[in-house]
Amino acid sequence: MTLFGRRDPADPTPLWRRYLRFHRADVEADVEDELRFHLEMSATDLERRGHDRSEAERLARARFGEVSAIRKWLLSHDRKRQHREERADVMDTILLDLKYAMRKLRHQPGFTLGVVLVLGLGIGAATTMFSAVDAALLRPLPFQRDDRLMSINGLDIPLLEAKGAKRMAELDDARAMRTLFTHVAAYAPGGLNLSDVNAPMRLNVALMTPDLFATLGVPVARGRGFAAEEGKPDAAHVAVLSDGLWRRQFGADPSIIGRDVRLNDVAYRVVGVMPPRFGFPEATEIWLPLTIPSTFSQYEAFRSYMPTTFVARLAPGVEPASADAALTTLIRRFQTPERRAKSLDNETLEPLRDVLVGKRRTALLVLLGATGLVLLVACANVTNLLLSRAIGQRSELALRAALGASRGRIVRQLLAESVVLALAGGFVGVLLAYIGVGALGSLMPPSLAGAAPARVDARVLMFSTAIALMTGLAAGLWPALGASHANPSETIKSSAQSGTSGREGMWTRRMFVVAELALALMLAVGSGLMLRSLQSLLGNETGVNPVSVATLELTLPQVSYPNQLSRRRFFDDVIARALATPGVEHAAVVNELPLRGKSSIMLQVLAGLQAPANEDEMKFAQLLQTTPDYFQTLGIPLLRGRTFSATFDSARAPEVVISESMAKQLWRGEDPIGGQVGPAYGQQVAPTVVGVVGDVRPWSIESEPMPQMYLALANSAPNNAAILARGSLAPTALAARLREAVRAVNPTLAVYNVRPMTEVIAGAIAPRRTNTYLITLFGDVAVLLAAIGVYGVIAYGVARRTREIGIRMALGAQRNNVIGLVVSEGIVLAVLGVSIGLASAWALRRLLASLLYGVTPSDPAAYVGAAVVLLTVAVIAALVPARRALLVDPALAMRAE
Amino acid sequence: MARESGGMLQGTLGLLILKSLVVQEQHGYGIARWLQDVSGDVLQIEEGSLYPALRRLEDRGFISSKWAITDNNRRARYYALTRSGRQHLRTDASTWLQFSQAVTLVLRAEPSVL
Repeated sequence: MTLFGRRDPADPTPLWRRYLRFHRADVEADVEDELRFHLEMSATDLERRGHDRSEAERLARARFGEVSAIRKWLLSHDRKRQHREERADVMDTILLDLKYAMRKLRHQPGFTLGVVLVLGLGIGAATTMFSAVDAALLRPLPFQRDDRLMSINGLDIPLLEAKGAKRMAELDDARAMRTLFTHVAAYAPGGLNLSDVNAPMRLNVALMTPDLFATLGVPVARGRGFAAEEGKPDAAHVAVLSDGLWRRQFGADPSIIGRDVRLNDVAYRVVGVMPPRFGFPEATEIWLPLTIPSTFSQYEAFRSYMPTTFVARLAPGVEPASADAALTTLIRRFQTPERRAKSLDNETLEPLRDVLVGKRRTALLVLLGATGLVLLVACANVTNLLLSRAIGQRSELALRAALGASRGRIVRQLLAESVVLALAGGFVGVLLAYIGVGALGSLMPPSLAGAAPARVDARVLMFSTAIALMTGLAAGLWPALGASHANPSETIKSSAQSGTSGREGMWTRRMFVVAELALALMLAVGSGLMLRSLQSLLGNETGVNPVSVATLELTLPQVSYPNQLSRRRFFDDVIARALATPGVEHAAVVNELPLRGKSSIMLQVLAGLQAPANEDEMKFAQLLQTTPDYFQTLGIPLLRGRTFSATFDSARAPEVVISESMAKQLWRGEDPIGGQVGPAYGQQVAPTVVGVVGDVRPWSIESEPMPQMYLALANSAPNNAAILARGSLAPTALAARLREAVRAVNPTLAVYNVRPMTEVIAGAIAPRRTNTYLITLFGDVAVLLAAIGVYGVIAYGVARRTREIGIRMALGAQRNNVIGLVVSEGIVLAVLGVSIGLASAWALRRLLASLLYGVTPSDPAAYVGAAVVLLTVAVIAALVPARRALLVDPALAMRAE
Repeated sequence: MARESGGMLQGTLGLLILKSLVVQEQHGYGIARWLQDVSGDVLQIEEGSLYPALRRLEDRGFISSKWAITDNNRRARYYALTRSGRQHLRTDASTWLQFSQAVTLVLRAEPSVL
């Protein structure tokens, strides 16, 4: 290359490439010329040696060989080479543009940093939400063909100990529909104590029918899964470990297979280990067979009821709708007419993923949409920054145009700058997303916690790179096109200063600010509605006073605590020890903490023992088993009568304390005290009502108060229980005391969820709180960005009108007039933006409806509040440059120019 | 020796082409003539096969090409050695010489020595 000329040191493009750029080499002609030259020269030489012309030409060809084959080879080679060179040429130009852009941006660190941060925030928020949406809704679950997996509602697993006729369709009935489903499996997530390690611990356990892994299409990594006979009630105890538990607890020892682990003091033979990152459902650490029929002993892993999910894999070619119809017919056959009427609107068959993601789908999509709006605001802001910068650079660009840079070249150069900015912003955004994904927490569906956690992976990186590029192009295109319009001769003629007085850019910039304000207002309305929902939720009486209360949960293994007496003694001992601790005033045991976020068992009850003619007159009541001090410990008010007596007396009739709602709904204004709660449920004597206490929200703050009844724990001490204490100690210290009390009674017992009661309640509203905080955060960012946008455009206007302001002041304009002049421009923009935003928010209000609680999506306060906030912010943003306008010195301003 | 370049030892033709360009740049036909003259017609090369060999040398950066006007006013593509081509020729030629000497030695050896 160096042979053909000296290279320009400033331009890395080789000369021949630049030559090619002007005269694209004609490959065909060149090959033809070269070959013809050879043959003619050869023939001429031969002719000179005495051959006649035609003989010479023949000889020349013979010496050359197969001309057409050589020609073909050369053509294909040269064409390929030309493509290669052109590609390299384009890459060279792009690299050059980028290099130049970076050099230029380095010289404006303030501008660059600002833009990168603004874009980083926008892209970071969008990336975080995308990773959440991707994990929960888009990315295939780590199962085979997850689109063919359905969840079945309305099935049952028979209980070995149950008596009486079959009341529901059972798992085996669905399995019998072999033309519809290749597999039907069931699973239920729960918890058990791992008892044979140094520190006892609580494990997430899932009971599953042996064919669950086959149904999902996930193979066991080591050992084997469950055999069909291990799904029978009398089969040997076997277990499959998660990869995480195997590594953490058993040091990844391959010989674990065939050894025993003790769960709730029962030995289970480990038969397999699952592959890494498989923890389905929830974050399961150990799987056990769910037997058919199931037995009471299997209920140890759950609190009072088994939260079973049925999964079916559709047979090839079967439409979900036809399977649904057939299954619904089957299920209805077992239903009484009343139950049939109630379950009408429930779909029998739903895609598994929809069931697993549940209600969080809407929240995720709304939040992703919100980040999209934030990104748009950021984009508009950056566009405006680039516009003002482009106007500042106009003379430089005009000069370059005059020196022969093409328009495309200038546009490309400016776009390269915005793309470099956006890519840097994308980098910052991905860093933010790494942090943000960890904070998603309760936003993600818990049932997918182990199987599809949100994470920043290659897909997510591709997404953020793509949106960074798009943002860069979108934000840069307008300013670049605008700047390239500049008429070189005019701009160069006028002085540099008047080069910044261009008027046409002003309207574009105002338009973008109005758009920003409108978008920010939509987000502000959304966050307003969400905040009002949270507020109305927090305004709900929970029915308990959680302050100064601590709690822990535990499970008494059936093997070690086989009867009422042993369990009662354990609870009595723990309570006695807790109460002996200084600073503990009350302590109690309950089978189920309120507001724990999980639904619990409900019993059909009636006032008195006479069964009503109509099943509908029976109510469902939540059954709670407590020690007498429970109401005092949690601050539940006693409204009438008394609580149970502290001592257990098997001779006396069982006593029951009922909630206010139960009293109202079952006794309808009559005095419940002394009444009996029926039916007797196999107990010898139906319990007698001795007191009425205040309602407690059952499992979440959103669920309405419902009938609740409290039985003395002494009558039937449960295996699963929570222990609570109230006292003057700090709740965390209180929790520690409780843990010590349990350890003193039984050091091998695992306790879990050791926490202040306030945390339990916080957990109950965590998903809503997260939603609200995120959307509010996005709203705040958008409002801030819009404020910066307003400030930018007004400040620019002031700078442009310095001379005008100076003249006005010289002519006697007052301070207020000047401020009014400047601020009114801001107000016009704000009013316009706010109006458009209000209309758009109103049009989209249905999107948010299902996320709200206690407010309607057309809640006027949210709209008015958002409008007021934005107008205020806009006025403040306009006031700052207005103050600067006051500093204009009339004399100087007029002399300038 | 072999009539076809395909029968020549791998890379030999490239080496000969590079050698032909040591003194001055040359077009394809010129290279063919030079090879014929120097080898005294011992090396019969199918002339067409020069061109693929030239392209490969160019791809490897050992030679470069440009269009220029010949003495009798015709347009022709001239090839020239690049610096790396010169370097390559030096090392390859010495390898070749050592190799051919070794082969010669072996072929001349008395059978009894074997």
